[in-house]
Amino acid sequence: MLILETIDLNGIQSLYSISNRLNLNYVLPNKVTIWKLRNNNPLRKSYLNNDIKLEEFDALVKITVELSRYLYPYIREILKSKEDIEENSVIWNDFNRRFIELIKERFNLESMRVKKVLNQTENDEIIIKSLLTLSFCISNKGYQKLKNFLFDF
Amino acid sequence: MQNKLSFHQSSVSLEIIGLPDYSNNENKDQISIISQWKLIIIDKPLIEGKIEHLGPIMNAFYIYSNLLIKNEIPIYESKLIDIKADNLHIHNIVLKSSKPNVKPLVLKIGNSLLTDTINCFDQLNESPKVRIKKTDIPTNIPKKLRFGLNKKDKFFNFFIPPLIAICSLILFSSSFIYFYSPFENIQKKELINPE
Repeated sequence: MLILETIDLNGIQSLYSISNRLNLNYVLPNKVTIWKLRNNNPLRKSYLNNDIKLEEFDALVKITVELSRYLYPYIREILKSKEDIEENSVIWNDFNRRFIELIKERFNLESMRVKKVLNQTENDEIIIKSLLTLSFCISNKGYQKLKNFLFDF
Repeated sequence: MQNKLSFHQSSVSLEIIGLPDYSNNENKDQISIISQWKLIIIDKPLIEGKIEHLGPIMNAFYIYSNLLIKNEIPIYESKLIDIKADNLHIHNIVLKSSKPNVKPLVLKIGNSLLTDTINCFDQLNESPKVRIKKTDIPTNIPKKLRFGLNKKDKFFNFFIPPLIAICSLILFSSSFIYFYSPFENIQKKELINPE
């Protein structure tokens, strides 16, 4: 989700609009609920163990897939920019810079896993694999695919 | 007259040509008997083949994409197609012809074209107008690779926790062991009955 938010500057609003459009209001009634659920990530500064329910997890996966579908052209351009970095590095560098800014802003920088994400050599691999995962899940059955990827992670 | 269906995703198109199965009361625009398929990638040679090649090629792409996300060195090898990663951004595809004396077709594609191709295959898999043997994506890892993946981890995860549990139980319970000493017992009895 942080990857999607890096691409879409108004990410939280987009996630909320999508949850409305997918009729997920009964699980995600407002932006605060989405924020609270995202705080189940132990790497976050504001980590809260809320015992996420299955339907909440499903809703988050659904809105992630839907937003990935919208942002696919951008995801593709970022991947392409990294492929020929010598000719077209601007998109990749901008994306990478904003992603690191968001990590520093929201994640616990003392955590070893966060340090790994911030490490330049490992950071590229993590970002590319995350972008690939999102771009492989934009089909109608992308929800099931992303769920499988997450359970296998 | 044959039906033709196209699936597009950015720089990649997949064309399926075939006929409906009228014996099964199918619609005119349905394709169940595929006679030809073409995978068109912009700036790359055209990929086409027999119907029996489409399934294995789709499987190869799906398996490879799964390995790419999970594994550090993704490799897929078969009689028909090899896919290897040059690095994290470039993928080397070797398509081997079933005809003798035909050189294999070698392609290099980036992540953007790989995702476009996978999405074209997804569209085909999900299309209600084409009936093909559906590809089950996440479990289709070849045996050779399936056993190679995290073999060590699985072995350790299976044996190490019970071993640690047994050892700690032995250590903990050993501190409460009472060794019976007959001499000590006799001495005690003597103290109670001095006679």
